[in-house]
Amino acid sequence: MNHLAIDNLTFAYTPKHPTLKDVALKIPVDSWTLFYGASGSGKSTLMRLLAGLLPKYGGRILQGNIELPNGLTVAMMFQDPGMQFALDTPQHELEFALENLQLPANKMPARIEHALKFCGIEHLRDRQLATMSGGEQQRAALAVLVAMDTDILLLDEPFASIDNHNRTLLIQQLTLLQQKYHKTIIVADHDLHGYRGLAKQIIHFENQRAQLLDAAASDALLQSADQLAATVHHVKLPTASDQPILTLKKVVIEHGDQKLIMANDFSFFKNQTTLLTGATGTGKSSLFKAITHLAAYQGTIVYNDQDSQKIKPRRYAQQVGYVFQHAVDQFLSVTVKEELALSLKKGRNPYFDEDHLAAALKLLDLNKLQDRVVYSLSGGQQKKLQLLLMLMMGQPVLLLDEPFSGLDLHSLHNVVDLIKASQKVYPQTMIIISHQLEGLEKLIDRHVKLADCQLSYREEF
Amino acid sequence: MNPSFKLLLVLIIALEVSFTRHLTINLVLVAVAIIYLLTKRIRPRLFGWLFLMPLFPAIAVFITIAWFSPGHDYFYAWVLFSRIYVYVFTGAAITQTTSPLELTRSLEQNLHLPSKFAYGTLAAVNLIPRIKMAVKTIRAAGQMRGINLSWWSPMLYFKAILHAITWSDQLAQAMESHGYVEDRARTSVHQIALTARDWSILIISIILIQIITFALP
Repeated sequence: MNHLAIDNLTFAYTPKHPTLKDVALKIPVDSWTLFYGASGSGKSTLMRLLAGLLPKYGGRILQGNIELPNGLTVAMMFQDPGMQFALDTPQHELEFALENLQLPANKMPARIEHALKFCGIEHLRDRQLATMSGGEQQRAALAVLVAMDTDILLLDEPFASIDNHNRTLLIQQLTLLQQKYHKTIIVADHDLHGYRGLAKQIIHFENQRAQLLDAAASDALLQSADQLAATVHHVKLPTASDQPILTLKKVVIEHGDQKLIMANDFSFFKNQTTLLTGATGTGKSSLFKAITHLAAYQGTIVYNDQDSQKIKPRRYAQQVGYVFQHAVDQFLSVTVKEELALSLKKGRNPYFDEDHLAAALKLLDLNKLQDRVVYSLSGGQQKKLQLLLMLMMGQPVLLLDEPFSGLDLHSLHNVVDLIKASQKVYPQTMIIISHQLEGLEKLIDRHVKLADCQLSYREEF
Repeated sequence: MNPSFKLLLVLIIALEVSFTRHLTINLVLVAVAIIYLLTKRIRPRLFGWLFLMPLFPAIAVFITIAWFSPGHDYFYAWVLFSRIYVYVFTGAAITQTTSPLELTRSLEQNLHLPSKFAYGTLAAVNLIPRIKMAVKTIRAAGQMRGINLSWWSPMLYFKAILHAITWSDQLAQAMESHGYVEDRARTSVHQIALTARDWSILIISIILIQIITFALP
């Protein structure tokens, strides 16, 4: 048998709402396959089923089965880069994995060396995983799979919080794994650029079904994704009339003993939407944590002509909002309805009256999910809900850390439309970290790039 | 010394000290632990901490027994006072000289503790920085939604417990996807030696402690 056979599979987390229905697929081994589809369409679910993690960790197979070719091993890389390590450093995690495989001790050093080198992270081997950036963690996770030498590699949105540089780098290494070492690689991704000529087949997930696309349809999809990614958008530089709202004065932000950001006098401007880009690990999220006082920094962060540290925390939290990278961190209640009620009660964004809120829920496809527990929503649904909740709060400044990750293009456009509509009624200053640039051109007024520890305004993104 | 044996010895000491009223043995144990820590070149600041941290509870216990107990038993007060320092310094003798990973590996290899237990605990230890950050983030999330979450707020604990549940589930899945299978044999890249020397240190230490405890006044 030279394929993974999925036979008439129906799988459900809750008995009445199957996530996958009558899925019949044959995924060839020694080949590169893409799972493509909207957030919540079941890509992750099928992946976890293939990895043998489901139904062990939840849900039930109602019908059908999955058969893997005899003797082939499977390993999986997860969407949340931080949550896939049991130990503290890449070296220890690699040792742990190889011990599990019962590899003799004398063979381990060479394997570990090869894996670290393959992923270009020899210099990170003894660094604490917890202090690494998402991109570095994903490379460490790939190193574990390489060292384990598994036959089938499942990667669930592996590039969700990674910039283009690291993404290209990882795709190159995966290609090598596939072509030289004949691995079976399955990647779930909502963004298809850079896969042309690599992915042999695309499986499209929609309405609980999953279908293999034919060659022509696949190629058209990949081509249009590449075109979109190559587009350059132009924005203006700040003008003299722009009013500063957040200013970094002699600010130094460090991570461990590594300097991330040094800003002598740098301002973000009022009522503008600023895109913040920079390679993985340069410190974009650390900047947000410093601004919101969640992480230490040296120097002064001035908010509206006042040292932000001198503002009472409770009041400052009403001025500067932070849309976290992990949506679940934002949630405080249990159901969607309760979360909405809280934001409605405490929020100050006048745009969200009853009608607009109902329309927004419909636009984001959240209107039928009101009784759902927020933690049971799919990643994309959580992202959309999180953004809506924080928009409703209406802080004058909103920092958004990867608010679009895991969203398909359709959802992304709807989210952008919602932000625009809200901004028209209630202008807000927004600073957005996003690796995802397609579909944002309508939203972005300014672009700041973080490189070599310096922040600077740029004319294109 | 072998990490597991070190732990075993400290546990035996803690038990024995808890059930005896003997000042000499307490003082000897504190002195030995300090000398041991000195040979391991522990930072002076940490030493300061180890002295200061237990001082207040120790004084509180001393005062209670010496002044407020019916017998005004000064000897027993000193026993309890020094007992706290025995716990702290012997404990430090483990934590400051053995990494959690070494201890885990030793427990697995030398004492044949189930690997599920050993690595599960270790993974939890590695989560501590994440837990701290999570609590900070939860409070920030609350403030930004107009809710002040105090330390006794049920919402804070609800979120924290929820985090713990999801993390434990994710960790289990992560371990499994890195090849871990419950109750299956594993190889070990770092052999933690268990030598005759470890046995002798353990046995001689225990005998010495008995002699001091029961033979000396």
